[in-house]
Amino acid sequence: MDLLMESLIAVLILIGAAFTCLGSIGLVRLRDFYERLHTPTKATTLGVGSLLIASAIFFSWTMPGISLHEVLVAVFLFITAPVSAHLMAKAALHLRERGETGLPPETTLQRHDGSGRLSEDKDGNQDGNAADSG
Amino acid sequence: MTQLALIVLIPFIGALLPSWALTAGRLWSAWVTGGVVVSALALLVAPAWAVMQGETLLWQLDWLPALGLSLGFRLDGLALLFALMILVIGLLVILYARWYLAERDPMGRFYAYLLLFMGSMLGLVMSENLIQLLMFWELTSISSFLLISYWRQREDARRGARMALAITGGGGLALLGGILLLGEIVGSYDLSTVLAAREIIHAHPLYLPALVLILLGIFTKSAQFPFHFWLPHAMAAPTPVSAYLHSATMVKAGVFLLARLFPALSGSEAWTWLVAPTGMATLLIGAYTALFKHDLKGLLAYSTISHLGLITLLFGIGSPLAAVAGLFHIMNHATFKASLFMAAGIIDHEAGTRDMRRLAGLWRFMPQTGLLAMIAAAAMAGVPLLNGFLSKEMFFEKTVYMATFEESTWLLPVLATIAGALAVAYSLRFIHDVFFNGTPTDLPRTPHEPVRWMRVPVEILVVICIAVGIFPSLTFGPLLAVAAGATLQAPLPAYSLKVWHGFTPALGMSMLALSGGALIYAIRRPLFRWHERTLGQLDARWLYEVWERALLQGSRVLDHLIHRRSLQDMLAVLIIAAAAMLLLGFWGMPLTGSATLTPLDPVSAAAAFCLAVGALGTVVLHRQRWTALVMLSVVGLIIALAFVKFSAPDLALTQLAVEMVTIILLLLALHFLPAETPRESSLARKLRDLLLALLGGGLTTVLTWAVLTRPYDSISDWLLRNSVPGGGGSNVVNVILVDFRGFDTLGEITVLAIAAIGIYMMLRDLRLEAPRADAQGRPWSSDAHPLILATFSRLLLPLALMVAVFILLRGHHLPGGGFIAGLIIAVALVMQYLANGVLWTQTRLSGELHPLIGLGLLLATATGLGSWYFGAPFLTSAHGHWSVPILGEIELASAMLFDIGVMLVVIGITLVILIRLGRIGLMQRRAPISNSDPKP
Repeated sequence: MDLLMESLIAVLILIGAAFTCLGSIGLVRLRDFYERLHTPTKATTLGVGSLLIASAIFFSWTMPGISLHEVLVAVFLFITAPVSAHLMAKAALHLRERGETGLPPETTLQRHDGSGRLSEDKDGNQDGNAADSG
Repeated sequence: MTQLALIVLIPFIGALLPSWALTAGRLWSAWVTGGVVVSALALLVAPAWAVMQGETLLWQLDWLPALGLSLGFRLDGLALLFALMILVIGLLVILYARWYLAERDPMGRFYAYLLLFMGSMLGLVMSENLIQLLMFWELTSISSFLLISYWRQREDARRGARMALAITGGGGLALLGGILLLGEIVGSYDLSTVLAAREIIHAHPLYLPALVLILLGIFTKSAQFPFHFWLPHAMAAPTPVSAYLHSATMVKAGVFLLARLFPALSGSEAWTWLVAPTGMATLLIGAYTALFKHDLKGLLAYSTISHLGLITLLFGIGSPLAAVAGLFHIMNHATFKASLFMAAGIIDHEAGTRDMRRLAGLWRFMPQTGLLAMIAAAAMAGVPLLNGFLSKEMFFEKTVYMATFEESTWLLPVLATIAGALAVAYSLRFIHDVFFNGTPTDLPRTPHEPVRWMRVPVEILVVICIAVGIFPSLTFGPLLAVAAGATLQAPLPAYSLKVWHGFTPALGMSMLALSGGALIYAIRRPLFRWHERTLGQLDARWLYEVWERALLQGSRVLDHLIHRRSLQDMLAVLIIAAAAMLLLGFWGMPLTGSATLTPLDPVSAAAAFCLAVGALGTVVLHRQRWTALVMLSVVGLIIALAFVKFSAPDLALTQLAVEMVTIILLLLALHFLPAETPRESSLARKLRDLLLALLGGGLTTVLTWAVLTRPYDSISDWLLRNSVPGGGGSNVVNVILVDFRGFDTLGEITVLAIAAIGIYMMLRDLRLEAPRADAQGRPWSSDAHPLILATFSRLLLPLALMVAVFILLRGHHLPGGGFIAGLIIAVALVMQYLANGVLWTQTRLSGELHPLIGLGLLLATATGLGSWYFGAPFLTSAHGHWSVPILGEIELASAMLFDIGVMLVVIGITLVILIRLGRIGLMQRRAPISNSDPKP
């Protein structure tokens, strides 16, 4: 039993570490911004996800009760990762960032510029802008 | 006898009321203020009765016993005399001021200041402890400053107030020195002990310095020559203030202290030679100058100076009988001078000017006021059957007595008679120039009698003047007897308060003074011309202004020498100084101690390397601000990791939260700055800074190394052992914060709150030009709040709040606590502002957030105070187990409430700063946007 659990946890950790590592390598190796955008998201979802599962199993096994913190961590990750990826993509489009195959299609760029957006809030607040250019 | 403390406290508490009562009307404000004074008077009745029977009442409470400071109030005859004067004349002034102040003068502020001043004066005269007395002494200086500068829009009022504060404040400093010396000599600051220690004090070598310092305090306060010039300038105050400050209270504080310390300090050569000549000089100079003042209040101001000189002289003579005469004159002067000031105020109020060259013949317009002023002025001149006559005659008698006593002092009665004659002359002038002497020409308005109630205070005071003048022993007699007994601390000398003493030398002097005064007034025109040409040119203020200028210039030069106008230069000085001290102090000590070194693990080394790279990167790239910011956050993250490594999860959590807030803060700030900093530093300067950085960093490293390689005992063991039994929590860090060092935390959050309020006020009206495009000239995205970000951040809010509550609740036992929880909530809320915009969030999170800061502070303080209820010292925490449904068994400590207070403060501060900063650009940018369409 012990060995079984331990090997399960070990495998999960290894998977997690491997994906995180892959994500890092991807950041270095991939050619342009739009491609590089993919790698950190893989690292967070699969990599950290496996690590979280390992952690949940370990603590539920060794401590009394079931460890649920990890679920919360996963929820936070799943919410924040796509948002940050989306924001970065938007920023790149706004800055007309060139990819390996040139600029993204003109329709995408125009859509980004706001013509297709819901005109829900035009607060003109600089906070969002600051995040854009950062 | 807690009543004594209450009597002093009531005006201070009452000072909060007038402004509030003003909302119900101006009359209400006056009524409430009067009510405060009446209640203090009512409380005084019973103790006063006991004092009149010869008792001395004491009330004491240990405050800082180690410093010899106890909170103590004392009511004896002298204190009672002054307390009555302060309260009764104060009451009359309040009534008078109700009609005197114009509609546009803020009445609440006036009454609040007046009550503050009254409380300070009461505390001063009733203090048992000398240090406490000094505190009230300083409070009178400050509150009188506020009163004198009441019309703060007027330049002369501000300058007069500043001068009064500078002179009396400087005197207060001298007094502090004197009192400390006195306390050292006697070994106690308690008045009862000091007053009984006459022999010890006089025999001590420090007697003379102590005496000189104390007298400096007294002379500045009581406007004695050569410090007298502040008093006439304080006349820029509203007349009720002058009537109060310069008759019964402020300036009498000096002579009060003279009387208070009379038994302890008087009777030596030094006392006589310091006090009596000062008093004499002030008496003569004041009386002389008063005659030539054209301003009604100026005349009264110099006459006040002169009368104070008289009182000082009496105390300076030093015999018990002279002291009795001095006390008697204090009472009489207070009554007639207050009424005269009020009369002058009425004249000013109704005729529109106080200039005696323009005023004349007012008798026809205001006969009743004229009659009152005449009686009061006659009392001031020393006309028989009025109170001024009695004390002045006692004064003449004392000077004659001194003259028979010692051959060389024959000068004394002569000078006294001259001063008396001058007093008669200026009193005559006050009446004749204003009420008679022809008809008025070009007055600003047609004079008429004032409102009935404005005259009532004057009437009361004038009636007292007459009553005392005719029946002295029936009116002021008993009070004078107990006051004199308390002043002398010895059996009373034989004296008789009678109008008619037979044909004595003093009576002759009085007659001489009266006729001499009339003569002086008769030849006033040539005298005035002569004065204008000669002595009128002199002005003591000139001396003060020279001094003031010299002092300011001196401090400017000093400031120039020490203070560089550049932060970098100041830092350089600081670092070099610290380095020099370190090198000097530790030179030659072995660097490495005896402790064994922990082996280096590769992870720590890698982290340290990243830290170094991050720090270096920040410095190297500092001109590209955004990149530098990323580098800076690398440093912050690694520090957080270091905290984890060294088992400080609390600190790591805090560090992470602080990092987030810092990034947002810097992003907001950087938004207004150019993305690139221009090159500013020369190469030499860079080299100097590099050298300094190496020096500072190197020495810090060496110092850390030296400390960490030595075995040492810290208090952490004690804290670890006592955390659960003492604080009821197993998270030692949190227990230290909220329990063991709770007082520190309270102080820290208070400082934080003050800083936040400062930032709030500074940012409130700040308008900055936000750049319309980034450094490369690219416009901002029109999509300020992307839908995905906005939606998800709303989703995150409840989750983040849940985490915050979780961290707060578990903080006492596991890593967490109020500080971290507060930061998390603040970040979660700021997220909403960032993602959804200020306007969107404002409609949902309405109201200002800065009250949170105050609420948190109040909660934390209340938790601390709560332990008093259980008889425990401030901030003692209680803890116990409770069984809560769903959550199960939990242990709660009262420290949790304190922690919630901390949390609220942190939330309030973070949000206030960030949101304010975020709004700067918003306000500025919204205006142009509405004019032009931002979209292409």
